[in-house]
Amino acid sequence: MSDQIYWNPVLETLSRDQIRKLQLKKFKNIFQWTYDRSKFHRRLYDDAGVKPEDIRSFEDVAKIPTVEKSMMRDIQGKEPFPYGDALCVPLEEVTVFRQTSGTTGQPVYQPDTWQDWEWWMESWAYILWAQGYRPRDRVFIPFGYNIFVAFWAGHYAAEKIGCEVIPGGVLDTKARILKIQELQATAMMGTPTYILGMAETARMKMDIDPSRLSIGKITCAGECGASIPATKKRLEDAWGAKVFDHAGATEIGAWSFECRDQPGGMHVNEALFLVEIADVETGEIIEAPGKRGKMIITALDRQAQPCVRFDSKDVIEWAAEPCSCGRTSRLIKGGVVGRADDITKVKGVLLAPSAIEEVVRGVDGLGDEYEVIVDKVGDIDQIKLKVEVLPEAQDQCQLIEDELADQLRLKTNLRYDLEICGCNTLPRYEVKAKRFKDLRKKNQ
Amino acid sequence: MDIKKIYDKIQVLKSTAEELNRMGESFPALARNSVRILASIKMLEINISDLVELDA
Repeated sequence: MSDQIYWNPVLETLSRDQIRKLQLKKFKNIFQWTYDRSKFHRRLYDDAGVKPEDIRSFEDVAKIPTVEKSMMRDIQGKEPFPYGDALCVPLEEVTVFRQTSGTTGQPVYQPDTWQDWEWWMESWAYILWAQGYRPRDRVFIPFGYNIFVAFWAGHYAAEKIGCEVIPGGVLDTKARILKIQELQATAMMGTPTYILGMAETARMKMDIDPSRLSIGKITCAGECGASIPATKKRLEDAWGAKVFDHAGATEIGAWSFECRDQPGGMHVNEALFLVEIADVETGEIIEAPGKRGKMIITALDRQAQPCVRFDSKDVIEWAAEPCSCGRTSRLIKGGVVGRADDITKVKGVLLAPSAIEEVVRGVDGLGDEYEVIVDKVGDIDQIKLKVEVLPEAQDQCQLIEDELADQLRLKTNLRYDLEICGCNTLPRYEVKAKRFKDLRKKNQ
Repeated sequence: MDIKKIYDKIQVLKSTAEELNRMGESFPALARNSVRILASIKMLEINISDLVELDA
């Protein structure tokens, strides 16, 4: 069984026609389920004049109103408490509570039934199997096991696959590294920021070379990093391991993953999710590869609080070519390249924070951390970038600064006020990093 | 791989689990464990049965 490269050899190799047919049928089912049970959704659809029987094609699907996170915030805290009237099952059937991290505002509550939780694990099982996790693996999870879904479902999916799972919950970073060493863990999961931070702690504070530990594969989530080539390289070099990206969200599920072939993009799990890409300006659905838009996503089997045409704000684009792994699901090129909320104009130029990360992590001699601060002086935008130079490269500061400035100008079309900071002076993050600060709105 | 045969077995499993669940009205251990079994069966349906029914 371990030689089988697909978790589901049937669904993962379906013809495109069959996948689309299956998606449309499942979309109709979940739309009917939601319309019949969620007062919130029914109001939304009735106001737009859309009824379940109107849905016959993907063109019809595209006419259905989207749901935004802010709408979910508004309905929560009410009866049935605390979820409000988007809840589609009796309260006593809810067995799992999680909430969003609150990165973009007030957290959203997410109720799941036991079946929904099984479905979370199932979607993660596709991911882990595709990345080479097998029953012989010993998986270490350096995660706080708290109110956020993060790696909870990854933990149980690894168990489902048959891996041995070590929960690295309340241990501090040093204790986690020692436990990996002691138990010879072969795989782990974490945010790119934390996994890089662990490597730094091992090297700088414990005199341990993480690439000599037993970790052979790392699954990242929570940030774009593992799909940014320069960050992926740093992660892989630091740990001597293959690093795989995966994308998911509390209110959506685990919808996308990089496979072992690492094709420069991520597979959409199209048997479980319908992903549409909408033009940010016009809302038109983009089918052709190579054009970026924001993701509108439907979880085709999630029932307690359904995710139907959810406007995730993730910026993605379809890849032109299928993957060499044989999976027939579509790939998104370069993973999630940013969030529509984060892409901003600076000095009239569109800037995605991930482009800055790609440059910083690609310059030898710079540390992993950085901070970007955008502000306005008078009427003019100013952009400051703080970086750290590694101890062994201190005598090359000027050369490094010059290269950084050149690469930034080349890749982002902007000039930066660069600040070289002392080692270990920039903030370190345990989960999701907040490295991009736009002070212009705050100061308006 | 005989998908239709797998589908038929899943159907049998489901109806058995549903019957056990109905019998568990005053038997919590039976009721709750059969709910969990049914959730796992649903994953088999997602993985296999939904496709078979699409072609039916």
